[in-house]
Parts: sequence; structure tokens; C-alpha cells
Amino acid sequence: MMSKYSDIKNLFIDSVDSKNYIDLESLSFNYNVLEDSLDKPLKMILLFGRPGTGKSMTLNKLYQNLKDKREIHYFDAPILSEKEFLKSIYESISGKKIPQNMRVNFDGLLRFTQQLKGKREIIFLLDECQLYSEALMEKIRLLSDTRVVKFVITLHKTENEDVIAKEHFKTRIWEVIELKNASEEELEIYVQKKLLQKHFVDVANLIQAKHIKFIHTHTLGNFRETNKFLYTVFSIYEYYELNRPEKIPKGRFSRKILEMAAIKLGYIHD
Amino acid sequence: MINIKELERRWYKYKAKNVILFFVLLLLVAALVYGGLYLYRYFTAIEHETITLPQKSENMIQAHGTIIPKETVENNQSDLNIAPPVEDNSDEMILSPTIPIVDMDSEKANDRERKRQATAQSQKKLIKAKSSATLTRQELDVIHGRDLKHEKKVIQFETNTQNYFEVMEQKFAQNKNPREALLLAKAYYDQGDYNSAEQWALKANQLDSKIDESWLVFAQSKVMLGKNQEAINILSSYYKSTKSPKAKALLEKIRTKEN
Repeated sequence: MMSKYSDIKNLFIDSVDSKNYIDLESLSFNYNVLEDSLDKPLKMILLFGRPGTGKSMTLNKLYQNLKDKREIHYFDAPILSEKEFLKSIYESISGKKIPQNMRVNFDGLLRFTQQLKGKREIIFLLDECQLYSEALMEKIRLLSDTRVVKFVITLHKTENEDVIAKEHFKTRIWEVIELKNASEEELEIYVQKKLLQKHFVDVANLIQAKHIKFIHTHTLGNFRETNKFLYTVFSIYEYYELNRPEKIPKGRFSRKILEMAAIKLGYIHD
Repeated sequence: MINIKELERRWYKYKAKNVILFFVLLLLVAALVYGGLYLYRYFTAIEHETITLPQKSENMIQAHGTIIPKETVENNQSDLNIAPPVEDNSDEMILSPTIPIVDMDSEKANDRERKRQATAQSQKKLIKAKSSATLTRQELDVIHGRDLKHEKKVIQFETNTQNYFEVMEQKFAQNKNPREALLLAKAYYDQGDYNSAEQWALKANQLDSKIDESWLVFAQSKVMLGKNQEAINILSSYYKSTKSPKAKALLEKIRTKEN
């Protein structure tokens, strides 16, 4: 037997699928800045913020929106091997497959890229760049100097990564876009839109500002944390609906279940 | 899969902890409020104790008849939130004296009784002081009334309503008793001679500043002379230092009339 809460719960599974993208004012603003930056003569664009602020989702949405209009390539998972990374870059630019027993020479790649100057403009979207080695980041920087290849990279915002970013890119012309956690109002819109997108109007109506406030207090407006929180909440709802339906209050959202989810996730301690 | 039963158990524990915390905080707040109140009362009591007691009349009353140094009056005005002086020429205010005129016959009888008791007391003391065997000749003479050369001071008081003031003033001139001065002040007040009433109340107050009536008659006379604000100032100051209910009642009466 399926519970309606099973479907609601699944809405909050963390994913970067652009279909699940929720258009919020701040996210929308940052997205537009990012898209406009691609038309500027910038070598690199940095998208940074704390984990769970929507960097990967924004990057994915950018890719989905532009893949049919521009020459754009999206590396959603970091390629940590230098050999594999250069191979992937070359294959993306040339459209040719490199045999397994061969490797791409970086100097050769650089010369090949320089030949394309004025003819093509290729965009690479690199997610989770904090995982790349410094040597690889240096090569990315040199490739971007050709002005044929433009990189949009995402970095987690921590003190060390801030230093790395400064060291590697301080001499480059680039755009920096910082993504932040959602405010209480934005979080409410986010949750409501998520539910209304799939027509769960009755549940959306039960969730009030005080419940959002409770969620925001513990997740600080982080989208990933909020998704995790609400996934747990609706898992508990699902259990009660299937096993002890009398435990689900009629006509109001259960504070008890919210608190139970907070205990489960370690936000509050028993 | 979430273990809901375990989670429920943890939730009940969490709620119980919150309830206990709430009551602990409530008790803490109650204790703070109670402690604050207790300290407030304690310090207020100390403050009352340190308030200056009534000053000697010569310090408070100046020769021209205005009472209380200016500084004290100003302080009292601010403490009691007295309105600024307003000219009040109203004739409607009638303040009757707090104590009625004393019947002179009964006063005389009382005086005689007091004298008799005083004599008996002094004789008792003499006898108790020494046994007859050890008394000197002079002492024995005193006991037996021999060779006593006391000048008898007899004052003839013939009192009636006409000569009452003369008799009382004469009596006051001899014994300087503040009570006589007060009786005169009240009598003058009843007669409608408020200036004299004020003067005699002042005299009574100069001799003994702790007699309520002297303050009250003085203030009432001031009121009748249209000096309401002075009366309020005097009574406020007196009430602050003595907490006299009569002074308070009169003060409220004057203020009510003022408003």
C-alpha cells in the first residue's frame, strides 16, 4: 500500500536535476548574472558558496538552458586524474575519441586551442573544483588564457579554498558569484513551490510560517539540509499513515513530527 | 528505515526535559522577582529611617513666620509633586480646628489634680529618700511645715468669653506653656482672627514642635489667609518627617480644594 507521503518525501530527495529547480528570487538573480557573464570577455567565472546553497543545481540549469544554443560542456563530477581531464577536454573540443592507450600532451592541447582563437568559444562547466589539484588548476588557468576556452567553476566556500582561489585566479579577469543560504521567506517559497509543483496543495496549506521558522532555525536555510529535514519529516508521516493513522493530526501540520525529525537528524538533543 | 518507536521515546524524553526546564526557569524568575521586591522593600525601609526627624522649631521657623528653610521646602515639593503656587482668594474654604476649645473649668480642675499629685509625689520621694532618724533639722522643718518661707504665687483667673484671651495670655506669660499658646491660637482661629491664630500657633510650635495641633492650626490659619501653597509646603514637610495622619488628612483636604 502506498502513502501519499511517500511521493511527498521523494520530492525532497537531494538532486541536481534541473527539473527540480525552484525559481527563487536570489537564485534567479545569481543565475542571470552568471548567464550574462558568459557574454563578457571573461576567462573564468567562479561560482562559490557553502555546500547545499545550490551551486551544482545552478550549473546544471545553465547547462540545460544553453546546451542547444552554445558550445558548452558540463563536467558534473570532478576528473581528478590529469591525464583523464586533458583527454576529456580535448575530446570535447575536437569531438574525436582518443584511444585508451594514448594520452593528450598539454603543450599540444594548448597549441590546438590557440589555433581556434576567433573561430570558436567553448564553455566548460566544472563542478566541485576544490577537489582538483593545484597543478591541474594551473593548467585550467593557462587554457583559459587562450580566450578560446571559458571556464565556469564551482568552489565550496571555506577559508582554505578562498586562499586557493585567490592564489590561482587573482591575476585573471573573472566574475565571482556567491550563493548563500535562503532566508526564512525564501525557504517558505521553496517548500511551498516544491509541494505545489506536484499538486500537494493540502499539505502545502498546512505548512505555516511557524513551521518554516522551526525548519530554518535548524537548517539555516541551507537547501540540502532542508531537503534532508523534510525528507525525514515525511518519512515519519508515511510511517504513521501506514501504521498508526490516528497519530496524524487533522487540519494542522504536526509539530511533534517536526521535532522528532530534528531529534533524528541531531538538530536537537533529547 | 526510521525506528519510530525509538524516536518517539526520545521525543518524550526531550519534551519532559523542556517542561522541567520551563518550571526551573519559572521558579528562577519568581525567585528573582521576590528577591527584587524584598530588596526594594528593605532599601525603602532604610531610606525612611534615615529621613531627618522634625527640626527644632528655631531652625525651622524664622522670625517673620515662614516655616522651613527654602531648600527643604523645595525638596519636599519635588517629592510630593506639589503644584506651583497659585493665588487662592476663595472664601469658601472653612477648616475647622482639629481640637475644640478646652473647657476652662475642667482645665482648672485638672490643674489642681495635677498639683496635688505632684505634691504627693514629692513628699513621697522625700520620705523615701531618708529615714527620719537621719534627716537634718532643715529637712524635718520642711516635713512639718515649720519656718517655710515660700512666696505664694496665686493667679486669679476669672474667665469669661470677654477676658479669656487676656487671662490666657497672662497665664502664658507666666508659665510659657506651649499648650496655653495653642489654646489661644485655636481660640483666635475660632474668632476669625487668623493672623493672631497664626502667631500663637507659631509660638506654641517654637516651644514644642512635636505638638500636631500647632502645625495644623498654623497651616489652617495660612489657608484662611489665602496662603494655600505655604500651608501645603509646611504640612508636606511636617508629614514627611512625622507621618502624622492628621497632617495628611488636612494636606489632602487643602489639595482637593486647590484642584
